[in-house]
Amino acid sequence: MRPDRRLVVAATCVALYVAVPVLCASNLYLMSMIVAALTIGGIALAWALLGNLGGLVSFGHAAFFGVGSYASALLVMKAGWPIAAALPAAGMVAVLSAVLVLPALRLRGAYFALAVLAYAHIFRIVTTEWTSLTNGAKGLSNIPRFPLIAGFDFASKTGAYLIVLTLVLAFALIYARIRSSHYGLALRAMHESEAATRAVGVNSTLLKAMMLFVSAFMTGVMGAFNAHYINFLEPDYAFSGLWTMLPIVAAIFGGYRTITGPIVGAVVVYLADQLVFKEVMPVGHQIILGALLGLMILRAPDGLLPLLTFRRRTGTILRHA
Amino acid sequence: MLEIADLGVRFGGLQALDGVSVGVREGEIVGIVGPNGAGKTTLFNAISGMVRPQRGVVRFGGRDLSRLREYERARLGIGRTFQIPQPMHELTVAQNVTVAQRFGAGRIDAAHAEEVLRATGLLAKRDADAARELSLSELKALEVAKALAMRPKLLLLDEVLAGLETTAKRTFARMLAEIHQRLSLALVVIEHDIEAISALCPRVVVLDFGKVIADGTPAEVFNHPAVIASYMGARAHA
Repeated sequence: MRPDRRLVVAATCVALYVAVPVLCASNLYLMSMIVAALTIGGIALAWALLGNLGGLVSFGHAAFFGVGSYASALLVMKAGWPIAAALPAAGMVAVLSAVLVLPALRLRGAYFALAVLAYAHIFRIVTTEWTSLTNGAKGLSNIPRFPLIAGFDFASKTGAYLIVLTLVLAFALIYARIRSSHYGLALRAMHESEAATRAVGVNSTLLKAMMLFVSAFMTGVMGAFNAHYINFLEPDYAFSGLWTMLPIVAAIFGGYRTITGPIVGAVVVYLADQLVFKEVMPVGHQIILGALLGLMILRAPDGLLPLLTFRRRTGTILRHA
Repeated sequence: MLEIADLGVRFGGLQALDGVSVGVREGEIVGIVGPNGAGKTTLFNAISGMVRPQRGVVRFGGRDLSRLREYERARLGIGRTFQIPQPMHELTVAQNVTVAQRFGAGRIDAAHAEEVLRATGLLAKRDADAARELSLSELKALEVAKALAMRPKLLLLDEVLAGLETTAKRTFARMLAEIHQRLSLALVVIEHDIEAISALCPRVVVLDFGKVIADGTPAEVFNHPAVIASYMGARAHA
């Protein structure tokens, strides 16, 4: 990484870890909105990783989110696991659930997307019907909150913010590492011609499966985080299609081909919707969001971040001209 | 090294390959010719694993390839190029070679990558965007470079000279001859240009309607009555 870029990353991290809590901690509503936005941002990042590197569009990430939430809640409530261990374990359970999706890897485009959507419905039904384990439609209440560590309450809005921020940044780092690795090169190459990459020894199915697992892990961990943050789960909430739709909107809005785009997109879309559009139009405020997304797809299909980067570059060129 | 016995490939009602039996020895150069639709590319696809034959067997180094998938055959040492160049998009020329080395040969070797790029005339273009900045002849050279980066024992070249103008075609054919001489790998070359294939390949196999109709030196096969009839027939129908 170039020194100037390193400086920008360090300054951004300081701003995110210090400035946001200091400036916003007293406004609990705002903090809860930011936490929700980052939760969506984490899923959006995982969704974009699968699309960008794996070349797979999923309409069913709610499945991994729901599985992760229930896995962590049950591991803590029924098996007595500490939350710190349950979070990654929930990610692994989401990976196991993704193994069931593997047959769908043969499908392409919309067929894969719809197959995963079907899986999400199956997981929701199983969770609803398996009452002995999940308490069925009544859901799970009093899910343990994040603990108090060294006097700092991680169950507070600020504590949850720090946890979700760390998770999202860690996922972004993993994404960046994969993308710049040889696996990332092969995955990018696969998009245009899978046959050509297989002809040079790339096991394309295995690489796609690996991306599905990484994406499922990330989404499962976000689900686990959310379970301990809101302390309540029911199947219709944990497997809600919103956990798929909002991240897709965020990723496309921010720029799904970039790493930071889905996160920025989630924060901008969610905060604009909840803090601005909802104020202007208390009922049906999503219409504004839909219109904005439509405009964005038409005018800047690569998303917000690439658009801003392009404007900045163009401005620099014009100033030097 | 490569043994193909009684190979049969059918696509619905079309018998693309019908009992093809051909062998290729280590370090040999074999030309494959035949009219359009004769089954030449299907033969390559069956050897490389893109197509599953309904009958027959392909052996490489004595090993039956029937159960091996494309990437496994590539790792065994079967490199191939495509009729229409398929550079790995979004990657530079050097990155294309790196991916082939990493996955095909199992390790990255900078010196070997440089040697491959030099042999294919792409050293000066190593940082060029593979999909956007290369001419047709450079794209075809990249196809060869990717295959060579895997350190293959057998290289299947599918119409690498097609579409090139005469001088570029001669340069490319010379480059292939040099690569063959230096690396002593076996080459199987599909080509329509009779003059080019006669100059490059001491042995030529002719396919027609999915069957081998001649196998021998260029002089033998191009004077073979069945080959003349096949080509005259193709021209008569054209």
